[in-house]
Amino acid sequence: MKLLIVEDEKELSKSIVTYLKGENYLCEVAVDFKTALEKTESFDYDCVLLDITLPDGNGLNVLKELKADNKTGGVIIISAKNLIDDRIAGLNLGADDYLAKPFHLSELSARIAAVIRRRRFDGNKVLELNELTFDTLAKTVSVNGKGVDLTRKEYDLFLYLVTNKNRVVSKNAIAEHLSGDEADVFDNFDFIYAHMKNLKKKMVLAGCEDYIKSIYGMGYKFDI
Amino acid sequence: MKLLSKSLKGYIVYSVLVLIVSVPVFYFELTSIVAEDVDEDLVAQKADLMAKMEKVIANKPFEYFEVFEPDIHIKPANTKRIKDSTYTILFFDSISKENVPHRVLESIVVLKSEWYNITIRKSLVDNDNLIFSIVTVQAVILVLIIVGLLFITRYHSNKLWKPFYATLGKLHDYKIECENSIELGKTEIDEFADLNTTITSLTSRNHEMYLSQKEFTENASHEMQTPLAVFQSKVELLMQTTPLTGEQAELITELSDAGQRMNRLNKTLLLLSKIDNDQFNVKEIVNINTTVQKLAEQYKNALNQKKLSLHTRVACNTVINANQTLIEILIGNLVSNAIRHNVQGGKINIIIEPNQFCISNTGNTDSLDATCLFQRFQKQTSDANSLGLGLEIAKRICNLYKAAITYTYSDSLHSFTVSFSNS
Repeated sequence: MKLLIVEDEKELSKSIVTYLKGENYLCEVAVDFKTALEKTESFDYDCVLLDITLPDGNGLNVLKELKADNKTGGVIIISAKNLIDDRIAGLNLGADDYLAKPFHLSELSARIAAVIRRRRFDGNKVLELNELTFDTLAKTVSVNGKGVDLTRKEYDLFLYLVTNKNRVVSKNAIAEHLSGDEADVFDNFDFIYAHMKNLKKKMVLAGCEDYIKSIYGMGYKFDI
Repeated sequence: MKLLSKSLKGYIVYSVLVLIVSVPVFYFELTSIVAEDVDEDLVAQKADLMAKMEKVIANKPFEYFEVFEPDIHIKPANTKRIKDSTYTILFFDSISKENVPHRVLESIVVLKSEWYNITIRKSLVDNDNLIFSIVTVQAVILVLIIVGLLFITRYHSNKLWKPFYATLGKLHDYKIECENSIELGKTEIDEFADLNTTITSLTSRNHEMYLSQKEFTENASHEMQTPLAVFQSKVELLMQTTPLTGEQAELITELSDAGQRMNRLNKTLLLLSKIDNDQFNVKEIVNINTTVQKLAEQYKNALNQKKLSLHTRVACNTVINANQTLIEILIGNLVSNAIRHNVQGGKINIIIEPNQFCISNTGNTDSLDATCLFQRFQKQTSDANSLGLGLEIAKRICNLYKAAITYTYSDSLHSFTVSFSNS
């Protein structure tokens, strides 16, 4: 999998590259508009992470070029602006997703995985991992071919951890992923514990190995 | 007190004083002048009478005088001492059938060794009428002058201060976020023209300041996003490092929480500046009922977690013309406050009425201080999750739609009511 990260903030792109290294991704970085255009013209990427505000141009123009060239890769816009107009403009131009800065790396990783899955040509929307099989279209999980009855939240939580496998996902990131802005209301992370407890119980009962580890109350890790 | 009434008050008091004092003084002065005049007249008449008496003294036909001159009485005097006295006395007038004041000169004279008592009287009724007329006319003229002056001053002052009141009115309606500066009409009075130019330049300077401050908040918030993103990503990478001790994990968790809070604070400040910048100007028909239902659904988990019971009472279908996102933020903020500051197993009531809705909740505090409730960063809780900006945002959104938001506390329920002035 080839990724292009168009981001002028070097420290941020460095973090993204380091985090995504764990996956099977080959990451390239473009720090400005010109380099981004050159790279997208010369190579094909499975997914492009695009910052809109670049020092020498608007990232949306890179998106326009990509679409004009009929490139098939996915595009995720990452922007510090988080303006509704920007979001709509980006999505109208054919971006697959929009992520406002600051974001959790685990969230970014999950979004990239989702975009790549959606863009796959072979129509295979299934994710297999040892005894686990995720049908991302039907949003179901099965262990050794046998379906497990998970609630929507439990499924989301499980898939989120799996797409960030072998990395610690912080409680804040989980809370935000599961509840969006609603996370503000919760005084604590009790609801995560509750979901997590149910999820683990169901998976172990279904005969799945207990992959999910709590890491010092900092977060959780799908350890495989 | 209005400027005009204040300046007129002095005039009125002075005029009334002058009127009260001058009319009696005038009356008495006039009366004494007339009395003096009458006295002189009586004395002259007496001299004339004595000259006539001397001519006819031998016959002493003084009783004839009284026939022709009923006002003159002559009789032999008892006392033998020359004496003049004048006084005023009432006599019954047989013609007008009433007592009439008379001025009397009583004089004891000696003519050719004979003593006579001469009494000459003169009716004062004509003089009194004259005095009364003069004083009345004078009083009327005085009143007319004073009233006229007052009216002229009033009219003139009104006209004179008109530009001032126009300026005041415009200043009163001035909203720094809406207008560049106050444009004031021309005036011929130098002071007011000066005032107007000063105000125009002051407001235009203020507006510029306001804009630059607004721009600063917005830019600062935007610029904060990138370092925050870097911070957050580095904290996440730090989580992945091995080996990791429990102590390190705890520190990292605390860093992550702090980052999350900064992030939320920044987002909220950006939202505030977006509301200020009128970036939510797309209006549509917003149904309060469905918005409340949608939010109740969204907050279901949070409600369950605290075991809160939510009661919604809908009196009618309330719709307003506003921005859907802002109304969702407004109701969302109030509902999330109601959840956050609630007690375990407490309740939340939402009442929707024509043009207003009320969200009330149980809580573990007594009545909150309503004066600083809607100011930013005025937290009345030690809750670290609370930013102290939620109600500020609610207030701003209400201001935008000219709605009133009020807080009341009764029956151990904290209630926030939003009333829209028009639907």
